[in-house]
Amino acid sequence: MSSKQFFLDRYSRLGWKYKLAKLKQAIRINTNNAEEADIIRRLESRRIKLEPIPFVPHAYWICESPFSVGATTEYLLGYYSIQEAAAQIPATLFTDPQGKMVLDACAAPGGKTVQLADSMHNTGVIIALDIDKRRLTALSNHLERCHVTNAIVYHMDARNASQLKIKFDRILLDAPCSGNFAADKEWFNRRTIEDVQRNARLQKEIIAEAAKVLKDDGEIVYSTCTLEPEENELNIDWAIKHLHLQTESIDGYGEEAVTNVFGKRLDDSVANCRRIWPSETQGFFVCRLKKRGSVR
Amino acid sequence: MKAIIDFVNRFGTSLELDESLIVEKQGRFFLLNPKLKKSVSKDFFYAGTYLGKVKREVFFPSFNLLTMIAQKREANKTMIDDRTEWLFIVGRDIFKQGIIEVTGSRKKGAHTLVVNQHNECLGFGRILNDLGEKFNMRQVVVKNISDIGDFLRRERPLKD
Repeated sequence: MSSKQFFLDRYSRLGWKYKLAKLKQAIRINTNNAEEADIIRRLESRRIKLEPIPFVPHAYWICESPFSVGATTEYLLGYYSIQEAAAQIPATLFTDPQGKMVLDACAAPGGKTVQLADSMHNTGVIIALDIDKRRLTALSNHLERCHVTNAIVYHMDARNASQLKIKFDRILLDAPCSGNFAADKEWFNRRTIEDVQRNARLQKEIIAEAAKVLKDDGEIVYSTCTLEPEENELNIDWAIKHLHLQTESIDGYGEEAVTNVFGKRLDDSVANCRRIWPSETQGFFVCRLKKRGSVR
Repeated sequence: MKAIIDFVNRFGTSLELDESLIVEKQGRFFLLNPKLKKSVSKDFFYAGTYLGKVKREVFFPSFNLLTMIAQKREANKTMIDDRTEWLFIVGRDIFKQGIIEVTGSRKKGAHTLVVNQHNECLGFGRILNDLGEKFNMRQVVVKNISDIGDFLRRERPLKD
């Protein structure tokens, strides 16, 4: 059996029939830096055709552009970021992030860090970590371009976050993952189930560390851009059972996560997570977690 | 800190920066707010507002710092038209014909911020000839020293 057939069979058993995704480029207006209507007007005057993305605020599909939207004056001035539509969802799921102590545990290249800063109106503090020093430069450039003023960046493995000796109100855990075929044409040739299992182990370690540094009434948003249940539903089921975390219901794009993975029955509350199969967006998985028994 | 003050003064203005909130890390300077100051530890990579770096005794400003200077009304500024804006951000110098308005010094050798018609700072340059003089419209009058297109030149973008 080919690698592609192997993974497609798995998706089929999870209830999804493979179809080719048509990803559209997406941008997000950084409302701290510019008036949204003003930027839309300016981009349209450059013959860039935009369409609002219904499931994330300040976000637009690029329907047509005579040139790269990464080369306009407005982009270089930090008025918008280029960010895949599904990847814009996690940072929108925190309740009331303004003024909070926020951890962005796997931050580079910084699209979600900038989005967090925007939703926080540059108040509070974002601690942004990444293990890859080369990607920290990209993260820093992104923060500078978008005029983020409330972030501190460390070259640090998220599994060591407790060394910071800080307790966080909000933790964004956009975990390193196996990715998905919609965002990578060579995905089926590159990936094996062993990669998936290795990433799932790493993610568990990061979730466990995040649970350690979370305040009692804090929130974790966990996301990946993979379709593999070992890195998604199975990890969350494990976190519920071993870390005293609970999922919270989140509305929005995508569908309920699966609670029966290849015959293994998971905690019913895993259904609160959202699974996004590729169509207009890449594949994605996202959920919000709190400590069990914490008061909202 | 002196490097920053001297640099700002070149534009005929000054900035009030709280020195106690400025931190230096391997020649790079960052402006923090009091909340960040409390949270930061010495092994940070980047923090708050990046102001610029000193390399071989030369100060290289960040675009955040240039934007802060551009907010000062009296700062040296050269406003350029749309076509010149496009050329400037790909690293080109400024011809006389692309200039709409000059604020502050017009003297040869002066540093000037380059702004577009929205008054947004695109970078800075050095005046090559007194702007008060008559010249050929096709003559280069402002030498590009740094422009926001640098964000594209620094690196190839990484996927999020």
